[in-house]
Amino acid sequence: MTERLVARVLLVGGVLGIAVIVLGLGLYAGQGGFRHHVLRVDRALPREPGVFVSIRQVVNGMRRHPVDPLAVSALGLVLLMATPGLAVAIAIPAFVAARDFRYAGIASLVLAMLLVSLLLAGAIH
Amino acid sequence: MSLTAFSLAVLATSIGAGAAGAILGLGGGILLIPILTIFFGVDLHYAMGASIISVIATSSGAAASYLRTGLSNLRLGLFLAVATIGGALTGAVLAGVVPTRWLELTLGLALSYSAFTTIRQLEDELPQGASEDRLAVRFGLEGTYHDMALRREVLYRARRVAGGFVAMYGAGLLSGMLGIGSGAFKVLAMDDLMRLPMKVSTATSNFMIGLTAAASAGIYWSRGEIHTLIAAPVAIGVLMGAYLGTAVMARLRNTTVRKLFLPIVVYLAVSMILRALGIHLP
Repeated sequence: MTERLVARVLLVGGVLGIAVIVLGLGLYAGQGGFRHHVLRVDRALPREPGVFVSIRQVVNGMRRHPVDPLAVSALGLVLLMATPGLAVAIAIPAFVAARDFRYAGIASLVLAMLLVSLLLAGAIH
Repeated sequence: MSLTAFSLAVLATSIGAGAAGAILGLGGGILLIPILTIFFGVDLHYAMGASIISVIATSSGAAASYLRTGLSNLRLGLFLAVATIGGALTGAVLAGVVPTRWLELTLGLALSYSAFTTIRQLEDELPQGASEDRLAVRFGLEGTYHDMALRREVLYRARRVAGGFVAMYGAGLLSGMLGIGSGAFKVLAMDDLMRLPMKVSTATSNFMIGLTAAASAGIYWSRGEIHTLIAAPVAIGVLMGAYLGTAVMARLRNTTVRKLFLPIVVYLAVSMILRALGIHLP
């Protein structure tokens, strides 16, 4: 059933995202980040180390040795943000299998709009 | 304030906002944005970025359980999400260009309105009468659910679909512009305009909130408005608080509890509006 499939993706994606965020914070605490970093909350430039604006930056942070713990948490944030889109993507073949082509189309439209948001984001960046 | 103290304070506050949001039926984000900006001095855009993440986190959990029980209507949610996501894309782009004080004013007004809807007695009565909305028939915007209180299967079909669609665009616009879930506005469109049962409106709105927020989140992210060290404790806290609040609500069953929280909501709404006018309350 499509509903159950979508529910499962939402649940797994949400739990996984939060788990990765917590993992990153744990690593950050282990490195003494909470004690040493002075947080700026006014969005002044240069950007804070906790602010990532592209997937590439997150990946670069993950590749570093030792790994950038904030990049790990940022990956968790990305997982969370991608979860609703993944749930809709899963629904498309499920609707097709149920021969509900109208809603396969609507789910595709919703997914396309989410992808447009990434294009808009890319244009800003 | 040291980062340790800041993170713990934000975590505790987010748990409180998440719980209060669940009890009031508002959602944690709309309460948290004014708290972060007024009491923690956090930049409005960082607060909105943290809020939109917490909105996705709480919506995913809630939507998963409502979809399994069949209270949330997946087709209805997807159909209306076309409108809310459209609105969110507009709103998220606007949030980057609209001056902060206008955002503060809009947030204050949205919060005031949401507070008003929680006071208003929500009828749990089921909408009566047959409907012949052509769009509803065409897109199969109908369903059944088992009502625990009435102890029977309830059949429903949406009315005034075109009007509901337009209202959903507005709800999405507010969500994208302010970084909130705007669940109260989505429920308003489904309950008041489309005459859907309150329980179906609330459950379906939960699913749509996450989709709508995901559309704006990418745009916020690329503008550098999502700070990991602010968004992480907020998301974890609001999620914990929402579970706590829901558990408390299930036990209390008493809507007068909501009135205890209303002064806080009114205070936050008023101070946001005053901030927009350049007056900072203590």
